[in-house]
Amino acid sequence: MSTPSLADFAEEARAFLSEHATPRRAEGAVVWGEGPDRVTYFGDEPKEVDRANVQAARDWQRTRYENGLGWITGPKQYGGRELSIAHELVYDGLEAEYDVPDTGVISLIGLGMIAPTMLAHARPEINDRYLPAMFRGDAIACQLFSEPNAGSDLANVQTRATRDGDSWLLNGQKVWTSAAHHAQLGMVVSRTNPDVPKHKGITTFLIDMSWEGVDVRPLRQMSGGAEFNEVYLDNVRVPDEHRMGEVDGGWRVTMTTLMNERASVGGEGAGPATRPTSRAYLLEMLKATGRDTDGGVRRDFARLLADQTATDYLTHQMMRRARTGDLPGPEASVGKLMFGQNLTRAAHLAAEMTGPRMLADTGDWGAFSWNELLLGTPAFRILGGTEEIMKNILGERVLGLPKEPA
Amino acid sequence: MSAVPEPIGSEELADLRRSLRGLLSTAADEEAVRAAAASETGHDEKLYARLATELGVQSLALPAPYGDGFGMEALAVVLGEFGRSVVPGPFFSTVVLAAGALVASGDAAAMDRYLPGIADGSVVATLAVIEADGHWRHQDFGVAAQRQGDQWSLSGTKALVPDLLTSDIVLVAAATPEGEALFAVDTAAPGVDRTALRTLDITRRIGRLDLGDVPATLIGAPGGLSQILDAVLDRAAAGLAAEQIGGAEACLEMAVSYAKVREQFGRPIGSFQAVKHKCADMFARTELGRAAALEAARALDGREDAPPAAEAAAVAHSVCSETFMFVAMENIQVHGGIGFTWEHPAHLYFRRAKADQLMFGGPAAYYERLLRALGA
Repeated sequence: MSTPSLADFAEEARAFLSEHATPRRAEGAVVWGEGPDRVTYFGDEPKEVDRANVQAARDWQRTRYENGLGWITGPKQYGGRELSIAHELVYDGLEAEYDVPDTGVISLIGLGMIAPTMLAHARPEINDRYLPAMFRGDAIACQLFSEPNAGSDLANVQTRATRDGDSWLLNGQKVWTSAAHHAQLGMVVSRTNPDVPKHKGITTFLIDMSWEGVDVRPLRQMSGGAEFNEVYLDNVRVPDEHRMGEVDGGWRVTMTTLMNERASVGGEGAGPATRPTSRAYLLEMLKATGRDTDGGVRRDFARLLADQTATDYLTHQMMRRARTGDLPGPEASVGKLMFGQNLTRAAHLAAEMTGPRMLADTGDWGAFSWNELLLGTPAFRILGGTEEIMKNILGERVLGLPKEPA
Repeated sequence: MSAVPEPIGSEELADLRRSLRGLLSTAADEEAVRAAAASETGHDEKLYARLATELGVQSLALPAPYGDGFGMEALAVVLGEFGRSVVPGPFFSTVVLAAGALVASGDAAAMDRYLPGIADGSVVATLAVIEADGHWRHQDFGVAAQRQGDQWSLSGTKALVPDLLTSDIVLVAAATPEGEALFAVDTAAPGVDRTALRTLDITRRIGRLDLGDVPATLIGAPGGLSQILDAVLDRAAAGLAAEQIGGAEACLEMAVSYAKVREQFGRPIGSFQAVKHKCADMFARTELGRAAALEAARALDGREDAPPAAEAAAVAHSVCSETFMFVAMENIQVHGGIGFTWEHPAHLYFRRAKADQLMFGGPAAYYERLLRALGA
């Protein structure tokens, strides 16, 4: 079968979506005091709700997969379609018009970052076994990267992998692992040689999270919920075929994953915080709180709205170019940088508008509820690469400034 | 305004940018810019003429039959290149402000009279709005127009008029008994008194215009001024944004190349995170501003998927004004002492950045304009 044109593909996607999903209802004008009073970026949902959401995500991913839309750019042998990124963006654009479950828990890390890494570095039998399951929604994958002493300096990982016959034994502690409690698979960055420069003694593995010795413990974050985990690896036996890339050649593998991370982060929306931090909502809030006559508040408001709107323009322009095959390079991290800053400023602006009514739950709609987002904002400057690391990347890779001497 | 302008392909835009950059790299290099800025007229008339005859940039975005009918996106490329080199001269005043006002007025007779000369580079024009209190406003003018029969005459003072001394024609915002209106004044007419003023931005001249019963031609109809100025301001904001991003780009490139070669403590200063992150911030703000400027141009051109023009223009004016000022300041900081000298070009951009930011009222005005465009 030849490659469908974008127009034909759009028709196919539309037919699929109208059969399996309902069009998103137009979000009416914001009416202050109506609708759910929830302002959060992280889910922080009760366990049952969280589990149900993940199940809905898995079900929707399976429906896509069974209809040939689970992995639009992927190889056919794993159930992909081998179409272009432009096709994928066409699909994403159309799907956004429908009311479908959020599949971020499956797609952001597993499909978006780990699957491309597997394609580039894992053995064919591993890919045969796991990639279809991942794209069918059966296997969620997590990133076992950061450690207590390896945050921004990821190459400093201390988790040891020691060879034992045809397999390896993994011992160590991982931290800040999103979705580990939902995951069936994990990609581990480990140390195989402590006697060489740190980047040269790293090896990566794909592990099954149900293997003996893997212990996932939730990590409660300052906003109250527990999206992250600590993962303890205690003598976890990993067959050598689960190794990705060469022994001691894992840094290259890790970089493949991180490059895909930076490509995906930034284009994403603000999750459940999208509507409350939207311009329409904030404008209503400005009026409802009576702060629209306060010059100081107006200035802060205008500055945020200017940057927020310009960031939207930037994202749309990147998407428009990507649809014609012009994919963003590392300069895309500007979007992520701005996204985190804008969301943070929105939370503080909301606090300025509510004033002391945010101090305690007085029952006022649209006041105390902002605390959840506010308390999540410090994470935006840390997750997916800290602001400082992002700036190093912009400085070194985009502007060509010299690296810090070792 | 006219219909949706001719679309222009990205390759044609890149060609235009290349040709113009080629011309300006010699005709408006730093030495030439300083010489032009210090000259009697404050600009290089030969360059202005070459721009018209060799590249036709004055007529590029004018509607047919006066010009090529390309829109703001093409004009933005030109302005971006001018901004990169802080080219002195009346291009912005003539092509963006004056021609913009003429086109917005829809006054066919006025367009026939002035646009051909603007298009071929033989006529330099400007727009006079600001009076003694320094506010950019669209009503309550001190300059008053009186009618005797068919003939209007103007009296009063416009305190800050860009490129006034080199202009052949000034479009003046004035009060009439029937509402505010725009008038064209020939600067050679009796009763016109023009005074050159010392300026913050030495690459853009400003003058005071005193009018004593000067004959003037009405443009459009009395009461129609505010609509014209709203349209001009959107256009000017988008055009200025493109120029500001050109200037910011130049400052960023200057800072980055200096940070790569300047060594202290035995290594290039760009390897220090304090400097590297400053450059990264400059880059990030410039990219954000570039997106805002581009979107404003697309909106002004009425592109299908673009936001409303008033919104995008106000966003671009706010974001690009802040961006250019920030990047121009940080450029000096990256350079250290050398960046503070008269001989270094950094101050030309610093001056331009602050002047651009204040030209249409300053931060208080542009943020309020943005809030109005958004409905707050």
